[in-house]
Amino acid sequence: MNWLVKIRYMEFFIFRNITIVWFFSYFKSSISGYEDISFIDPDAERYIWFYLAPIKTDNKVISAEIRNYIDLLKLTISRIPSSKTFIIFTLSDIYSINTITGANDIKEAVKYYNSTLHELALEHNNIKVLDFENFLSRYSSTELIDWKYYFISQMALNPRLSNPFHDWFKKQVKSIELKRKKCLILDLDNTLWGGILGEDGIEGIQIGGDYPGKAFLMFQKQIEELGKQGVILAVCSKNNIEDVRQAWSLNNSIVLKENHFAALKINWVNKADNIKELAQELNIGLDSMVFLDDNPSERDLIKTVIPEVEVPDFPTQPYMLPEFFKSIAEKYFSIYNLTSEDLSKTKQYKENALRNNVKSTFTDMNDYIRSLEIELSIEEVNNITIVRAAQMTQKTNQFNLTTQRYTDTDLSEMLNDGAKIYTLSVKDKFGESGITGLSICKLNGETVDIDSFLLSCRILGKGIEDAFMNWILNELKLLNFKAVNSKYISTAKNIQVKDFYERFGFEIISESGSIKSYSLNLGDVQINLSDNYKYNYK
Amino acid sequence: MKEKIKEIATEVFEVQVHDDTNQNNCENWDSLRHLNFIIELETEFDVSFEPEEIASMTSLSIVESMIQEKSNNI
Repeated sequence: MNWLVKIRYMEFFIFRNITIVWFFSYFKSSISGYEDISFIDPDAERYIWFYLAPIKTDNKVISAEIRNYIDLLKLTISRIPSSKTFIIFTLSDIYSINTITGANDIKEAVKYYNSTLHELALEHNNIKVLDFENFLSRYSSTELIDWKYYFISQMALNPRLSNPFHDWFKKQVKSIELKRKKCLILDLDNTLWGGILGEDGIEGIQIGGDYPGKAFLMFQKQIEELGKQGVILAVCSKNNIEDVRQAWSLNNSIVLKENHFAALKINWVNKADNIKELAQELNIGLDSMVFLDDNPSERDLIKTVIPEVEVPDFPTQPYMLPEFFKSIAEKYFSIYNLTSEDLSKTKQYKENALRNNVKSTFTDMNDYIRSLEIELSIEEVNNITIVRAAQMTQKTNQFNLTTQRYTDTDLSEMLNDGAKIYTLSVKDKFGESGITGLSICKLNGETVDIDSFLLSCRILGKGIEDAFMNWILNELKLLNFKAVNSKYISTAKNIQVKDFYERFGFEIISESGSIKSYSLNLGDVQINLSDNYKYNYK
Repeated sequence: MKEKIKEIATEVFEVQVHDDTNQNNCENWDSLRHLNFIIELETEFDVSFEPEEIASMTSLSIVESMIQEKSNNI
């Protein structure tokens, strides 16, 4: 029962635009690339959006980027499951210089960003906006940034704030989650089906077929859906467990079977004791349980003995079940309930939301990539860039197919042996990245060996890796080379590129230990240079 | 002091460290944990390292002599 374990652990996938690992290191979390929305971890329990105003010198660029973040966010919201909580931090400009012209543009952009968040939260009830100012305002502006660490690691927020941040954030998450119940405890007879199993028999109970069986069938299917959303289902029923198991295996109309339930209390012990045991077994609080039973005296018992458990009145007629289900689903199991504080904000933002019909500017990733106006500048390495090229081989760990480390002298020697070393610089409408990609191609008659292929994680998530590889293959083809050999050497950090070459039609020649060797016949391949990018070759 | 450094290193790198542990022989000593380690050291020994120093602190023995030097200067 793996999913139970998951519920107990916090599990986040964090979208971010700055280095923040320290801030979430206490949580079980994984992190996107910088401003990278291309990958969304489907297994994460919850998602976090943590963006700060970029630290740059051109205020026009800063405000444009902040507005662009909203477009990224909207696209991301459309791509993550609406059944999972998405915690979005408000954006703050932690390093603002008021006297510089354009500072007001930034303030306006931040305002636009944060008010849009609240509008989005109104439209998507899995979104929870966290007011980050609430945390930041405890510190002076000099405490917020440690420039030494910023320049070493892109860590915009002072890493020493990570402990207080952790405490603060944990409290916030708890208050978001408290309102949602985790477990639905169900009686069986006259609750999940009509009639009494012990008296009416396996085929005598009313489930499926005509009314009232129809109504119970719908009710079971609805509860099954709740289970799929992560609500823990359990049974608490006065019955013989053998009878129930037999009904489960023989009556095919029953939707909710043993495998839907995380725990069973089917016995003749009083239900209050049973429910307390369920709480222990499932390791959840009594205050996160909802109990459904058609019998008023059983309900009364639980209300009196365990007031923490929610016990809604059960409908007296089966045709009232759909209305009943709707009410409990919304009251106890909606992903995120508005707090009174949110409700007052709601009024404020509702009018805005009506005015600006909140729609994503981009319909898909392609659209987004095109909007960035990306230019790829590819050059053969020269006396000036060779130092940076060597440095990249030394420092790049993640998007690095072979992780060969070279000095500039090594690279010079390769050039003398006729190798082609390509560097990639990326520019988009927000600025230039400098040299952030490198490929070393060793020439061997009519064959080329790609010795190294690597990109800085800073530019990932925009399809640039594919465009760069396609460009190189295309160039090699134009130069009349016949075949390309390449390798993937796995390390602890480069798992993400383990199937990179497969994407371009390379065939695996051999695979042994940590090394996969490939070959590609250039005559066989059709290379498409994506027109999402502009290519400059010098 | 050596023991305290090793204690911090063990905690940050999440592996048992030895006198001769360095960035090359310790799998978990990556760039992220390196900065974590430095922050912990700065806090524990009440010193501040310059970026150039941080880059050069690639083994426990260098770390120790660096802290020694700083403490003597105070």
